[in-house]
Amino acid sequence: MKLEILNEIIQKKSSSQNFALLTNLTNGNSEIFEFGKLLSIDFENYKKQIENYHSLKKNGVIDGTQIFIQNFTKPIEVIIVGAVHIAQYLVDLFKNLNFVITIVDPRKFFITDERFPNVKIINDWPEEIFKKLETDSNNALITLTHNPKIDDPALKHALKNKFFYIGALGSKKTHTKRCQRLKDSGFTEEEIASIHGPIGIELGGKSGPEIALSIVSQLVLESNKLILNSKK
Amino acid sequence: MEKQIKRTILEQGRDWFESDRKVILARVIQTWGSSPCPVGSNMIVNDKGEFFGSVSGGCVEANVIEECLDLLKNNNSFKQLEFKVSDDNAWNVGLACGGEIKIYIEKINS
Repeated sequence: MKLEILNEIIQKKSSSQNFALLTNLTNGNSEIFEFGKLLSIDFENYKKQIENYHSLKKNGVIDGTQIFIQNFTKPIEVIIVGAVHIAQYLVDLFKNLNFVITIVDPRKFFITDERFPNVKIINDWPEEIFKKLETDSNNALITLTHNPKIDDPALKHALKNKFFYIGALGSKKTHTKRCQRLKDSGFTEEEIASIHGPIGIELGGKSGPEIALSIVSQLVLESNKLILNSKK
Repeated sequence: MEKQIKRTILEQGRDWFESDRKVILARVIQTWGSSPCPVGSNMIVNDKGEFFGSVSGGCVEANVIEECLDLLKNNNSFKQLEFKVSDDNAWNVGLACGGEIKIYIEKINS
């Protein structure tokens, strides 16, 4: 493989783009694939299959060919509302996974560089932050404050902008009240039911790191559903 | 606010190449049955036999590195390797888990 292709992969990965690396296993030629990009003679006859594998995020030797495709997927951007201690454990657990984290909290004493040394932090109200932040279905939201004044505006924004994962920390009782408030604000039953609350898969643990693990597990499970479903 | 940059396998390969090491990229391209590393897993190897990343969770790495060093000695730029289920001798190269994997190794060149 040419060094320039290696460099292109590194650059595209760091700027969070969706793309694939194609390799012709008979002659060793490789090139980068993106939707809309013209393919060279090594790959152009397999365009349809390449696009199909890329949409499904499927890696492998394309059936009936000698073309290997390896997909690089844009990381999911996770917004964590609440710079509380569970958020600190979440940062640790997300470190080796394909997620980009932003932590937001209007409370200045929670959201400090000392508490969150290696992650993007924004000290403001979610309402204000979402006015400036571009978000879509590649985003996930985790709310941790269980303070309606901080969490609710973030949850409403995430529902309206079709975040692919929304999870809210809080007991069943807290969550029932939360659902009622969202209903009063005009959200449908179906929209409200899409919120994972109480957040996380059931691991039976109660400590901060265990709750963080259950949240990360749920988010990984949800993010792999497209791949899991395509295998059925 | 980029505070920390995580070093990746490919970045390690580029850095080795830029410091005049010869570099090989190994990638899992096919698997059958149970295999420890999914298709797309990769490992980078240099001419000193140093490596970073993984293609099998420890089962065949030694053999892959050996093949990479062999490739550096000849004119071919790539090769496919196949590993099947191992026999009872645990020290033999092979996959104790009963799977099969195909690995594609290639030189990085300018």
